[in-house]
Amino acid sequence: MAYLDPQITDALDSLKKEFKDLKDKSAILRSPTIKKLFSEIPKLEPSKRAEFGKEVNKLKIEVTSWLDDVSSESDKAPIDVTAPFDLNVPAELRPKTLNASLGSIHPISAELDYISDIAYRMGFNVESSRLIDDDYHMFTSLNFPDDHPARDDYDTFMTTDGLIAPAHTSTMQNRLLKKYKPNLDQGLPIAAIIPDRVFRNEDLDATHEHTFYQFEGIYVAKDVAVGNLIATLRTFLSEYFKQDLQAKIQPFYFPFTEPSFELAIQRPDSLKKGDTEADQWLELLGCGMIHPNVLQEAGIDPREYSGFAWGCGVERLIMMKYEIDDIRHFQSGKLEFLRQFS
Amino acid sequence: MKFSINWAQKYSNVDLKAISPDQLIASIGEQLGAVEEVEDLAQKYKDVYIVKLVRVVKHPDSDKLSLCLIDDAKQVKNVKRNADGLVQIVCGAPNVKVGMLAAWIPPGAIVPSTFSGKPLVLEAKKLRGKTSHGMLASPKELDLSDEHEGILEVPAKNKQVKAGALFGSAYGLDDLVIDLENKMFTHRPDCFGMLGVARELAGINNQQFESPDWYTATGQKIASGFDSKNDIPSEVPRFTLQVVKGIEVKPSSQEIQNSLIAVGSKPINNIVDLTNYYMHLTAQPTHAFDYDKVKKLCAGKVSIFPRLAKTGEKLQLLTGKTIELTDKDIVIATDKQPIALAGIMGGKATEVDSTTKNIIIECANFNMYTIRRSSMHHGLFTDAVTRFNKGQSSLQNAVVLSKLTQAIVEDAGGKAADGYDSNPEMLADHWPAIKVNSDFVNSRLGSDISATEMASLLQNVEFSVAVKEKSLAVSPPYWRTDISIVEDIVEEIGRLYGYSKLPVELPSRLIRPVVKNSELQFKQDLRRILSAAGANEVLSYSFVSEKLLTNCGQDPSEAYKLSNALSPQLQYYRMSLTPSLLSRVHQNIKAGYSKFVIYEINKTHLKSHGVDSEGLPIEMEMFSLVYGSDSKQHPAKAGSAYYQAKAYLDHIAQKLGTSFHYQKLDKKPAYQVASPFDWQRSALVTDHNSGNTLGMIGEFNRSTARNLKLPENCSGFEINYKQLMESVGSLNRYLALAKFPSTTKDITIEVPLDYCYGLLAGYVEHVIEQLAAKQPLRISSQLIDIFHKKSAKSKNITIRITMSNKDKTLTSDQATAISEQISKYLSDNIQKTDS
Repeated sequence: MAYLDPQITDALDSLKKEFKDLKDKSAILRSPTIKKLFSEIPKLEPSKRAEFGKEVNKLKIEVTSWLDDVSSESDKAPIDVTAPFDLNVPAELRPKTLNASLGSIHPISAELDYISDIAYRMGFNVESSRLIDDDYHMFTSLNFPDDHPARDDYDTFMTTDGLIAPAHTSTMQNRLLKKYKPNLDQGLPIAAIIPDRVFRNEDLDATHEHTFYQFEGIYVAKDVAVGNLIATLRTFLSEYFKQDLQAKIQPFYFPFTEPSFELAIQRPDSLKKGDTEADQWLELLGCGMIHPNVLQEAGIDPREYSGFAWGCGVERLIMMKYEIDDIRHFQSGKLEFLRQFS
Repeated sequence: MKFSINWAQKYSNVDLKAISPDQLIASIGEQLGAVEEVEDLAQKYKDVYIVKLVRVVKHPDSDKLSLCLIDDAKQVKNVKRNADGLVQIVCGAPNVKVGMLAAWIPPGAIVPSTFSGKPLVLEAKKLRGKTSHGMLASPKELDLSDEHEGILEVPAKNKQVKAGALFGSAYGLDDLVIDLENKMFTHRPDCFGMLGVARELAGINNQQFESPDWYTATGQKIASGFDSKNDIPSEVPRFTLQVVKGIEVKPSSQEIQNSLIAVGSKPINNIVDLTNYYMHLTAQPTHAFDYDKVKKLCAGKVSIFPRLAKTGEKLQLLTGKTIELTDKDIVIATDKQPIALAGIMGGKATEVDSTTKNIIIECANFNMYTIRRSSMHHGLFTDAVTRFNKGQSSLQNAVVLSKLTQAIVEDAGGKAADGYDSNPEMLADHWPAIKVNSDFVNSRLGSDISATEMASLLQNVEFSVAVKEKSLAVSPPYWRTDISIVEDIVEEIGRLYGYSKLPVELPSRLIRPVVKNSELQFKQDLRRILSAAGANEVLSYSFVSEKLLTNCGQDPSEAYKLSNALSPQLQYYRMSLTPSLLSRVHQNIKAGYSKFVIYEINKTHLKSHGVDSEGLPIEMEMFSLVYGSDSKQHPAKAGSAYYQAKAYLDHIAQKLGTSFHYQKLDKKPAYQVASPFDWQRSALVTDHNSGNTLGMIGEFNRSTARNLKLPENCSGFEINYKQLMESVGSLNRYLALAKFPSTTKDITIEVPLDYCYGLLAGYVEHVIEQLAAKQPLRISSQLIDIFHKKSAKSKNITIRITMSNKDKTLTSDQATAISEQISKYLSDNIQKTDS
């Protein structure tokens, strides 16, 4: 690199010498030579300051890059990557795993495992979702026509390649209906849940995350009725809260179910706070009878088979359970938060 | 969608006021849709009184303030009054005058405009030395409009409006306003009008609703003679116009104003208010243009018509904002220029104002998808958009235009003149009836409802239904554009019948175990192993910043980039997990955690990994772990951080019944996953058995460490857990228990300083196997020490051999012989590899 100001060229030479002799190479960034150059700036004529300042910064970047060059030929002795410990390390200081009591599984992983366990016991397969998908699976296959206002409720992230960060685990519905369609020919239902990560283009606050988890459920067989949906979810949630709970549905709208509902359950004792009407019921999830167009899109005859689907947020369940006040803790990576879980 | 009970009551034969608010709200929630908010206007205005201004004088210490004495017929208690029983108010409004009626918010009352937010409770307050007991309210403070230049002048229109009357009752604001979630009605164009919701309320109360006659009279003929055309019927299914001449623009009637105020629509003038009134009533938006202003914008004869805009054309909207149009926008235009953004907002140049004498009323229907696209493109979200993008019925156009014209003539005077209708012959009954069997409906609902009962539920909301035994032929009314398939009929019947009455039953199930998802099980196994080894699982965002990528030596052009990221912090799909974990190290050290191991199991995406059979990016299933410790917790004698990460990987291998091979690198690997690692202090991890590459382990680049403020002692690994899963259980380590006493011998071998321990370990394993194959021996080995004397060119590796004979006790001589055999084998082989 060439510098216009001779003062800087001189400084570069002297820094090179300093660097050679330094033991802790990173100390070069704190060299008085650099500091001195910065302190020169205010003394200059105003018209020259900008030019000089730019050069000093350029110099600092150059010097910083030296550190990268030496990154590997560092002062550290080479290591034998195949050995279990370093040379001369006394037995008591050899690497070992940390104390088990410090360890933890993320509360979301633990929750998804707990939910999956209930699903297995009720006869549901458990599947993962994709984290990058296309418009067809996210919308079109779910009976969302292009430019339909129903899309307004899903603030989706898009990539510059036109791909989509799925805003719901329903993005897997079409694939799983197709995958398990042979079940129907054998007289078995299609029954699966999909617990995984989804994304919404939403500003962060204590109750809103742009990255969160849902678990989707689908069930398709012959003669599946609304009452089966209510009973299944009621059983699922009773098992979840370890208490026999009443459930009720209220009309709602989703393009991929017809009719669509919101399901509320009787508030479990463990989450009871007061005794008002609002305290009696807990609105938990959206659900409905799978729209015939969605079945048809997966090659299933909607006159012969019917089914239901639901989607439920996961963080809220955990937040209620532990009385966690801020959804942002989940992805914060804070040990203070994580180590409270086992 | 705000729904006013008072307003709906005018059109409903069901006595809505007789139903308790709680019950009404509950039944809406159960049988119509989610209630977002309930506004009890009676509560909002309960403390506001109409008062008469008895005396008004200038405030002695202010040019702008007045001292007013007001008469409230002594309705308000606990307020300071003068000898005549009047209350003093200090008021800054320019329009205060003796004898006028005004609205008074006394001390202790909530200012209505703050009612639903953070309530402001008034108190008696001194203004320039004079006490004001509450305030005289402007329309803005009363939440009636944005007007705040002066106080509200209450017209004494009838006997009820007098000093001491409750403001809310006098203004008809003793209303219950229910805000229904718009999302609920994405498929219900009719429910964006009072009529639609009122009809549903009748239906769920099992009563027959009757729409007003004018609303069902779809055969209405619109006058002709106005010069217009419709060249884009796919974008504008119907376009109707009506000219009204000689009108008077003035404030609309109190009744119209009150209705609009109740649903949060600010009154403007009689013409605009009436168009809004009929939109809120029927869900059909309309627009009024000033005829004379339009005329000035026409080159030839007065004419307006819909067309697609030309890209680059400009239009100033009612709000004053000028937008640049594209050829995807529909506009209403004269022969010279666009004058309104169709279905979204009118233009400034043709706005109805107080001088308007003649108007053109437009009532049309537009392609819902085009309207939504334009609305999104221009960021304009109006009441009209909300209604048009749900797909209104074109049959409504002539109906509403006729009624609105009539209402305008009644209120504003004038005479209906020329008109235009693009589809004068449009008829209601051109849709075939939907045929559905009651057994089908019952099978989907799990119910047992008779065909006649089904018919009556539908008829209550004005469907026409022909029943023949179990077969129903259902014709939805013209406004129900959402009903097209049998499942729609199932929904209507279920909802109107009441979901809570449906029988609840679990599906029956075969006794057959579900196959567990092995990948998910494996992840959970891995988590258990790691948490039992003191590590903490982290979940972090799938999106990262460009800065984090470059700090970790990764190439952002390889990453999938979001086009609508929330912030630069979340711009790219991550290509590996390690950068996310590294970005959490410093914050935790700073928070006082001096030694920790964090890990994450998640998916990563990288352009160069290509696409799968669906043409979508292959998702990499990765597992990354990072060890971090500040220097106090990591004594120099403990050696390099690399071995801390390795201890974890070896631990995992041991728990999973496999073993890994660590391969030294001779140059930086060209993988994004490897980028954060300092290749000279890292190794490639392969599965010992299959030789498959699993990932990287090592310490991190100096620059990465510096940029992310990593501690000196930091290391980690990132491996593909799907590959890892395949290697699980490949190793059977079981060694039969010793039956005879065992003997130990330590063997110390001198090897060159750069000699790989792994090589030696391989020889040890091999020679032990050989010996055990020949003799009934049980031999195991353990590394005891690796010692390097300062400045020596070699190092000593000490291995402890534990041996026993399976059939008898091993003698000391035999043990020595075995140990010598091992020792010799090792020396021979080391020399071989060395030379």
